[in-house]
Formats: sequence, C-alpha cells, structure tokens
Amino acid sequence: MARGLGDVLHYFLPDEIAGAGERASWRTAAGSPPRLEAAALPIVALPVAERDVVRAALAWNLTVEIARLGASASLLAPKLGDGSLLWPEPGRGPVGAELVHSPALDLGSLYRDAADVAVQRAAEPCDGGVVVACVPPHWLRSSADDAALLRWALLFATPDGRDLLETYALTKFLLRRRPDAKVGITIHGVRRIAEAERAFERLAGVAARHLGRAPRSYGLLVDDLHVYRAIVARRPIGLEHPQSPAAKALRDVARLVLADARTENRV
Amino acid sequence: MSEGAAREPDADAQRRALRRALGAGRTPLRIVAERVLGAETRIDLVAITPDGETRLVLIAEPGREVEAVARGLAHRAFVEARLADWLQLAPDLGARPEAGVRALVLAPAFGAEALAAAAAIPARRIELAFCRFERVGPELRASIQPIGATDPAPTPSVGPPEPPAARFRTGLSDADLGVSVEEQSALEAPLPRESPRRSAPTEIL
Repeated sequence: MARGLGDVLHYFLPDEIAGAGERASWRTAAGSPPRLEAAALPIVALPVAERDVVRAALAWNLTVEIARLGASASLLAPKLGDGSLLWPEPGRGPVGAELVHSPALDLGSLYRDAADVAVQRAAEPCDGGVVVACVPPHWLRSSADDAALLRWALLFATPDGRDLLETYALTKFLLRRRPDAKVGITIHGVRRIAEAERAFERLAGVAARHLGRAPRSYGLLVDDLHVYRAIVARRPIGLEHPQSPAAKALRDVARLVLADARTENRV
Repeated sequence: MSEGAAREPDADAQRRALRRALGAGRTPLRIVAERVLGAETRIDLVAITPDGETRLVLIAEPGREVEAVARGLAHRAFVEARLADWLQLAPDLGARPEAGVRALVLAPAFGAEALAAAAAIPARRIELAFCRFERVGPELRASIQPIGATDPAPTPSVGPPEPPAARFRTGLSDADLGVSVEEQSALEAPLPRESPRRSAPTEIL
C-alpha cells in the first residue's frame, strides 16, 4: 500500500499536535518488529549529481543522523572528478558515521562495493543500520542489466515545479530499470508541512497515473538557515545545531529510513 | 591572523569596524559572511564587490604578514573551488565566479618580504592594504588604505565561454528526462495556494 506524507506526519509534528503517545519510536514501541540478524545491511540508493551540494550535504547529514540513532551508517560515494569537495574525508566521522569512496564507474560495480560495505558492517555489533549509496543520476539512464542497487532508492525534492519534474523523471528511470524498486521521496526546502504535502501529493499522483506506482513518503525537511550554515561550515547539522527544526526533521527522516531498513528492505 | 582562539580580545570589534569601513569605501564591499572555515583556518570576512568579485578579507597579526599573504592565497584557492557550490546554497549572493576571487590582506604595516611576495602575484589574486584601528569614544573605527597595485593592469580572467548551465540539479537536461508533455505540465503547474518560494539566504553565515 502506498505511503503518503500524511502517513508519516506524526514523525514531524510537535508532540502536542501528534500526541506524545502516538509519536513513532521504531526502537522502543511495543509493536516494533522483532530484530533480526542480517548477513548484510540494507542499501538505499540516493541519486546525487557530481556538484549537487545540497543533496550531497543532505545525504551525509542523513547518514550522521542514522548513526546518531545508534545504528551503523555508511555513505558510499563514487569518486568522480572534483566531487570530493562535497564530502568529508573518507573514514569514520562524527558519531561513527562512515564515508567510503568507491572507484566504481557504473551501477554494477557500485553495487558490489556497496554490498561489500553492507556485509562488513552487518558483521559488527550494532543495532542494525543502512548503507547509503550515492548514485550519479546519469547512471540511471543506462539500460544495462545491473539494477541490483536500485531495489530501494530515496530521492530528495523541493516543492519547486522543475524539481518535482526532475524527481519524477528519476522515479521513472528507477522503475523502468527495476519495476519492483521501492522509491521514497523526502521533500526538502519547505516552510510549512502543507507545502510539503501538496508537493508530495502532486508527485505521487502523477506517478500513480503515468507509472502505475506511487513513491512512498519519507517525510520532509524544513527550510532552515541552519542547514545552509552547516553545509558551508562542513559540520553535520545534527551536531552543529541539534535543536534546530532542520536537525529534528532530519532525525525523523533517519528514523523512517531505519524503520524500513529493519522491516522490508533487508537484503 | 585568522584564528579566533589566539586573537586579541577585541577581534569581534575589529571585524565590526571593518564591516563598516569596507562598506563605505569608494568601491563598497558587501559583507556576506564572517569567520568562514577555509581549508584549515578561518577567513575573517567574505565580501562581494558591486561587480560580483569575491573578496576574502584577512587581518594579519603584527609581524606575521608574510604568513597572512600565504594564507590569503590558500583561502583564495579554497573559495574559488567552492564558489559555484556556495551559489547553489545562496543564489542571491551576488558573486559571479567569472569576476574572480581575491584575497585582501590587512595589516598596520607590511615588511619587505610581504610586499615582495604580494608583488610577485597578480593583483587580481591578492591585494594588500594598510589598516589601522582607532577608538573614537565607545566606537572602534577602521581606516583602510590600499597599497598601490604592483600589477597595474589586472586582466580579468577571460576563458572560454561557460557551457550552458544544466537545467536540473542532477545535471540532466530536459531532453534526458524522457517525460511527456502531459507529465511535464502536470508537475510544473503551480501548486495550489502556493506562495512564492523563498530563495536561499543571501547572507550565508
């Protein structure tokens, strides 16, 4: 069943609105799925272009937030051109979040590198986790038969019409390459929840109509000056401004990713 | 010097005075950021000229002007490589990458080595200026006097024309997307009751 933004809004609304008792907690809720040991951590593909600063920063910040939740979190990025400007130094970073550069030049080899990391990290004592694999968007246009990495993908979109169009096209690429792909959308750059809802509904509606599948919602990230400051300062927002609305929203997105990683995206 | 830890206690006051002085000069500089972390140390001020040039202002510690010149060059290289990224975050910043990035090193006095080092570098990359602070009542005031450029004809960097910007952040073009007119119009129509989207902040730090 498709998951809309309304289904996950309780993560993002203040307690007094959502009801503290209903606030999701994937780690402590009585109804949480039982923890299973896995041979490999789930891999989520995240399209990020070589010089797309905002998405790259969101990807790394999301990885750090996943680590802050106590899970294993690795971000794998192909080392292409000057893209290293976007990332911190490879290796373990804040709160154990890890950046791994991959020499991969295509989707298939990136998947193999991601799977290596996923197996290694699954062997370590940790409360689950995720490998976030950054995929150059133009790789998605290929018709090669190497779509294993695209089983689960997360896209960042703003409510801007052009951005929605671009995100829709990426969704289309993903579903063409892998019809069973689970495509998630996080709307960022919004000031109000209603703005994110309208954007997600627009995207999901067009996808359902033309692609036969709607992406699922992975929440929203509020537009916040702290995000831009943290990006320029090259410090994760969750560490630089942990109480900011942007950091809290990012943590909620991380919880959604982890919750799905623990249930339905296991490899 | 540019690291706050070892700085004189009134470094903040100096920067405030500089903001006023730089903004009131013959070519007023618009300060867009303070104490930006460069490769290792901080840039005191980042400013934009009316024609879009990016100026990196460094206050040299007395006796360490040569080091400040070197650091200015390092900061310049660091920022030049990232200016396009900053513009993604703050499109209204007013900086034009093609207008260049220049370090402006300020000190009460420069020794012969600092002057010689700066003279060996094109003036469009680094500039020295005398800077003196004077307390007038409760207010600290800065006076800035540029040192004559040793490169009298700084030539703007004229390279091959920039390729047309990609239409999307992914680097994909409209032709790459492969969406129908119907899909496109459904997605690009203004969202209901949508107010104009706020652009990224002009002042990023």
